[in-house]
Amino acid sequence: MKISVLSFFTFLTACGSGGSEGTNSSRTVLQNKGSDTLVNVAQAWAEAYKDVNPSVAIAVTGGGSGTGVSALLNGTVDLANSSRALKKKEIDLAKSKGFSPVENIVGYDALAVYLHPSNPIEALSIEQLKSIYGEGGTTNKWSDLGIKIPGCDSDEIVRVSRQNNSGTYAYFKSAVLGKKGEYKLGSRDMHGSKDVVDLVEKTACAIGYSGLAYANDHVKMPCIKKEENGACVKPTVQTASDRTFPISRPLFMYTRGTPEGATKEYLDWIKSDKGQCIILKKGYAPISETNCDT
Amino acid sequence: MFEATEINIRNKRIGKGIKFSFLLMTVLLATPVLIILAVLIQKGGPMISWDFLFSDPTNGMTAGGIFPALIGTISLVIVALIASVPVGVAAAIYLSEYAKDNWLTRIINLAIINLAGVPSIVHALFGVGAFVLFFKFGTSILAASFTLAVMTLPVVIVATRESLQAVPYAFREACWNMGATRWQTIYKVVLPNAISGILTGVILEVSRTAGETAPIMFTGAAFFLPFLPQSVFDQSMALSLHLFVVSTQVPNVPEELPYGVALVLIGIVLLMNSISIAFRFYLRGKKKW
Repeated sequence: MKISVLSFFTFLTACGSGGSEGTNSSRTVLQNKGSDTLVNVAQAWAEAYKDVNPSVAIAVTGGGSGTGVSALLNGTVDLANSSRALKKKEIDLAKSKGFSPVENIVGYDALAVYLHPSNPIEALSIEQLKSIYGEGGTTNKWSDLGIKIPGCDSDEIVRVSRQNNSGTYAYFKSAVLGKKGEYKLGSRDMHGSKDVVDLVEKTACAIGYSGLAYANDHVKMPCIKKEENGACVKPTVQTASDRTFPISRPLFMYTRGTPEGATKEYLDWIKSDKGQCIILKKGYAPISETNCDT
Repeated sequence: MFEATEINIRNKRIGKGIKFSFLLMTVLLATPVLIILAVLIQKGGPMISWDFLFSDPTNGMTAGGIFPALIGTISLVIVALIASVPVGVAAAIYLSEYAKDNWLTRIINLAIINLAGVPSIVHALFGVGAFVLFFKFGTSILAASFTLAVMTLPVVIVATRESLQAVPYAFREACWNMGATRWQTIYKVVLPNAISGILTGVILEVSRTAGETAPIMFTGAAFFLPFLPQSVFDQSMALSLHLFVVSTQVPNVPEELPYGVALVLIGIVLLMNSISIAFRFYLRGKKKW
């Protein structure tokens, strides 16, 4: 009986030491935490970087931009993902802790509005979009906007939206409907960015929103006006990255101070064509025109 | 001789009815378990393969396997056991065999009961404050396992104490009368007789440790980390968090994948449970009372 008890504990201890044996200190681990918008891109980067530099492991964690920023301030991460710029308060707090956070833009979240090619609309304002999508908005028929679409006999605006846990859903809501805005009920909620574009392509009455990267030749993307009388901006990688396109936000990876060593190499790789093609594939806009033929 | 009167018949009928409805409750209790298992096996079963268990996730975690998460969960459970079992068993031995029934003991008992009632997300915050930041373990397996250990300590303590107290008092008295000391009695007589009950506590702990998500998501589990942990100071993936992530965070995951992950998670728990149950059975067979 005594032997049983002893062997049981020995078994536990043996397993434990087995887990921590074979330490290979040559591998660098980079902690990467934050924004849920960026987490899938960050994951794809980490996955691809395994083949670029096997001696660097990137541990990716989500939780939201705020989680990333506070981890950066606590000093528990090397790279904090954020879909918003740091607030002045946070920068001050960082400075009082003896470092200044450095902003690295790694891509853009730009949402284009998609229409069926037979739809005559060339320009839409944020106000009009809000009236179409937002709760309390009065635009329910295409004739409300003064147009008639060939092939759309019902005249009804078929609103194509996203399921409510998508980052795209949340961003469109905050950028178009405003902080307190809610979506109108009765939209077709798709489970993927590509599905939105596919449905709009097949439906004459439809309007949809989705990442800029999902554009194709069979759909129409109207230019978007921030103000009713303002300039109308076409959604392109160019207008997304110079921030003139109204439904676009930069995506950041913050570092504590100027990036160095493995962190710098990783960021440089992210900003290279290889890294930017990955973010493009995930539906976001790259930081500059990127050639991804392969 | 004895004729069944109307009241006898009625009482008998009521008794039968009550027995039947209690049986129904018991069956109801078992149904969710069976349904969960059936759904998991039906939907996740086809996912399970050598490759699924022993390769890294690929293609944005929508394909490939779960090896880093599997190893992560196993390491978390083992380190948590190493941290909590000795402490828990020692505490239970003290409380059951040494402690006098005074205010201190009562406060300790109250604390244990309350510790068991603390929600796991609160343990998570405690873990971040205590292990990640204060002890500077960083987000690591060590910090996550210690958080889990703190969370599951009451289970170990309570189960151990109950099983120690189930050992008849006469056994101890007989041993003392032979001139044995308290520790000799505990070591030679009480512990060997209580070991099967202590194992029950450990089984329960393993199940909870493997399944918990909240306490590890801030303290040591990573969303994605395609490398195996090399020391307890590394982060790792974990099955429970991986299940959460592939079900809610990652777009375009094939429907069977989360079920596959869930099946593996529940499989680990059931496997560990059955090993311990078999061991218990063996020990109980040797019991002489």
